[in-house]
Amino acid sequence: MTALLAASGVSVAFSGIRALNDVTLRVDAGERVGLIGPNGAGKTTLFNCLLGILQPDSGRVMLNGADVGGWPVHRRARAGMGRTFQRVELFSDTTVREHLLIAERIRNGSGALWKDLIGRGRPRPTEIAACDEVLELLGIDGLADQPVESLSLGQSRLVEVGRALMTGPQVLLLDEPSSGLDRDETQALADTLRAVQESRGYAVLLVEHDVSLVADFTERVYVLDSGSLIAEGPTAEVLADPAVRRAYLGSFEVS
Amino acid sequence: MTGSADFFEDLFRGLLQGTPPGAVYALIALGFVLTYKTSGVFNLAFGAQAYISAAMYFKAHTLWGWPKWAALVVSAFVLAPLIGLVLERLIFRHLRTASAVSKLVVAIGLSVALPELFNQAARFTAVAGRQITGIMPDGSSVFYDPFGVYRFNRDELAMMAVALVATLLLAALFRFTMIGLAMRAVVESPRMTEMSGINADRVSAFAWALSSTFAGLAGVLIAPRFNSLVSTDFFTLVVIAVAAAAVGKLVSLPRALLGGLGLGWFIAVFNTFLPRWSGDHTWLRPFQENLTPSLPFVVLFAILVLWRAIGREREASDPLSGVDPPPPALAALERHPKLTLFTRLFGVGFVAVVGSVVWFRAGVLWMHLVTTAVIMAVIYLSVTVITGMAGQISLCQGTFAAIGGFTIFQMADRFNMSVLAAALLGAGVAAAVGAVLSLPVLRLGGVWLAIATLAFAFFFDAVMVKFSWVGGGTTALLTGTRVPRPLIGPIDFASDRAFLVLAVVVLVIVSIIVIQLREGTVGRTLTALRGSEVAAASIGISAARARIIAFAVSAAIAGLGGALLSMHQQNVNYSTNFGPVNALFWLVIVVALGARTVEGAIQAGAAFALFEPLILKGDLLVWILRGEDHLPGLFPLSGSWRLVLFGMMAIQFARHPEGLVEHGKRRSAARINRWLEAREGAAS
Repeated sequence: MTALLAASGVSVAFSGIRALNDVTLRVDAGERVGLIGPNGAGKTTLFNCLLGILQPDSGRVMLNGADVGGWPVHRRARAGMGRTFQRVELFSDTTVREHLLIAERIRNGSGALWKDLIGRGRPRPTEIAACDEVLELLGIDGLADQPVESLSLGQSRLVEVGRALMTGPQVLLLDEPSSGLDRDETQALADTLRAVQESRGYAVLLVEHDVSLVADFTERVYVLDSGSLIAEGPTAEVLADPAVRRAYLGSFEVS
Repeated sequence: MTGSADFFEDLFRGLLQGTPPGAVYALIALGFVLTYKTSGVFNLAFGAQAYISAAMYFKAHTLWGWPKWAALVVSAFVLAPLIGLVLERLIFRHLRTASAVSKLVVAIGLSVALPELFNQAARFTAVAGRQITGIMPDGSSVFYDPFGVYRFNRDELAMMAVALVATLLLAALFRFTMIGLAMRAVVESPRMTEMSGINADRVSAFAWALSSTFAGLAGVLIAPRFNSLVSTDFFTLVVIAVAAAAVGKLVSLPRALLGGLGLGWFIAVFNTFLPRWSGDHTWLRPFQENLTPSLPFVVLFAILVLWRAIGREREASDPLSGVDPPPPALAALERHPKLTLFTRLFGVGFVAVVGSVVWFRAGVLWMHLVTTAVIMAVIYLSVTVITGMAGQISLCQGTFAAIGGFTIFQMADRFNMSVLAAALLGAGVAAAVGAVLSLPVLRLGGVWLAIATLAFAFFFDAVMVKFSWVGGGTTALLTGTRVPRPLIGPIDFASDRAFLVLAVVVLVIVSIIVIQLREGTVGRTLTALRGSEVAAASIGISAARARIIAFAVSAAIAGLGGALLSMHQQNVNYSTNFGPVNALFWLVIVVALGARTVEGAIQAGAAFALFEPLILKGDLLVWILRGEDHLPGLFPLSGSWRLVLFGMMAIQFARHPEGLVEHGKRRSAARINRWLEAREGAAS
């Protein structure tokens, strides 16, 4: 079976320093996969290679069996890769619903100038309903008309998830969703993410620092250390592995 | 053999000749880089500052008869740093975390306002057609010829000496003093520097004073090279400095120095050899005639477009800027239905009253002015699209408008084409030029995009307009670029009244187009890009595609408006209407009054055409007071106050990107909303 998203033999060097060394990873349809590792392990570099923000020096990135190596970010997004950001990236001067509508419009009618001119560019009621449905799923339907500047960090993360969902992703890449959140907020976010993933059925690749969230949320996990994969497998097993614990200097506990 | 000896002698002469202006370019480029490094401000107002010092020097020395040293001290070492300090303290200190683009707009506003503010305050009028004296006694008439190749005059020697001393002092400052070290730290991160106990405000104030002194010196030194003393010459000077600074990617002082000198040499050598080659090869002649004055702009454009590294250079921003509070959100967009109804009724009523007054009461002059206002509103809608919607600063909207004007001129003149068809064609040509222009500059983004458009506008101004298939060539110099009014069946738009109707119809159509785009997918895409480019890409938006569309649409609207303006004046009047410096004022007036909305563009059009006669000349007051006799002696005010006023208003762009008037409207709308809601709450 071809993987939904696969990286094979990806290597990246920054001015001579190996940031990623022959990393291979796969995410299958509907799966929840984690990618963990200490600071500087190369998680973000790998993430950027998958999304097309960074070109690897060698190795391939495949999406649904197609080599997406030369594709720019937006083309990969259209092919089914959604993402969220560690440092929240929202569109200023817009409301929450407007955020989702933008994504919905991009998916449906990509920037057709003449359609706008004859008045076909405005969001249709069905599109607005689709946005509201996602907002309800995420439990933020009450915020639909709020400007995004007024949201808390946790709420902003959910808006990012909602925006990504509107593109109809096959795989959603979550970049450190717990950063900046406290334990309760992280727990609430994890519950929502799981509920939404189960109802929509897309695959998730979670890049995360907070091991408890990874343990709670993912089925399978990859561990990066100093640019190389040091472990992979079912989450519970990998997290119990002494080598993995050593990489983290025993700084976490698995409940 | 003699040929090659001549060649080297000429080359040497060219290099010598290019050194004095190159030294001044280097001086201003150094100051430019210094400001950019320490405060992230791409200070296009540097030209204005240089102008003020040059004008102050002229005033003190030539008009008041002060000795040269006293005039120099006051203009370059007192006034120039003082202006720098005031700008830093009152404006740029508060904008430290603002985006580079909004700081650029602030600087553009200043470059429009400052020269006129000085002219008004010091009762100075532009000087034309006379030699401006430099800082040396007999500066232009005593020569030295050290190599037997080129004779330097004293002013030129002074230029080189001053630039050399200034550079050495700057190097010593960075190397040996505490403040120099602190300046280097502030460049990295003002916040971080403050945490280590250095007062970043003081350092940045010092940097501003220093760089402004450089600008002032450069202004005083370069003034004798122009045969006039007008602010636009000095604006060109700052564009040259930008080209020199771009060689060092805006951050390297030594490279900026080399860039300035190199540019001086390149221009001089080019001027030496091109006339000779074009003597042998006649096809080079139009280039020789046209290219020479615009060489710096061509160099700047080439650097921006061809040097791939420059686009990758991220704008200077503080790594800790995230810890500062984000800018305040725009006022609420939601309006109470009653308020919406009221504002609509008010709008319709206002238009009806003004329309009927104009229609029934206005004489020829006022009819003409109102028509100009309507047409300028059309042109300003192009700024609404590119700046308000796409968030990009384009400084070549005047060029796009000129393309529209020249297209109808050429089509009507050569092929006797219907002018309305030609106007649509002109919009199409402008759109094509806009799209083609956007291709190489797209990857630049932000400040560099703005500068590339500025370089393009100057290039068009200096080269393209002179071609007979664009600006009409020498025949047009004699007969003007005449454009007829349109004629549709029985309706002859030669009548001013009929033409006003046509202009209004075009304005309504273009307004509807802009609203449709804003509410449609194109507008949403651009909103997303303006908000966050990475996030926009993550949902499948192609920034390149969206920006090409925005540029093309904006250029088309400007082209259509330019065509209309040319029909209105029955002449293209390129330099009064569409010159590159005029287009700066367009940007300023639109962002001052509201770049995000159609009303903003209409207000800006009205302000452009009517503010001067109604307010500054006092006609509105005359009408209110019922008679000119009651008019206070203050009136009529000079028309240049509008440059000062709108330039100052544009400074607010960094805090209110929606425009001051729009901001005020939203705030009062929010207040009325609250009041209405409270009243309803009380009633129920």
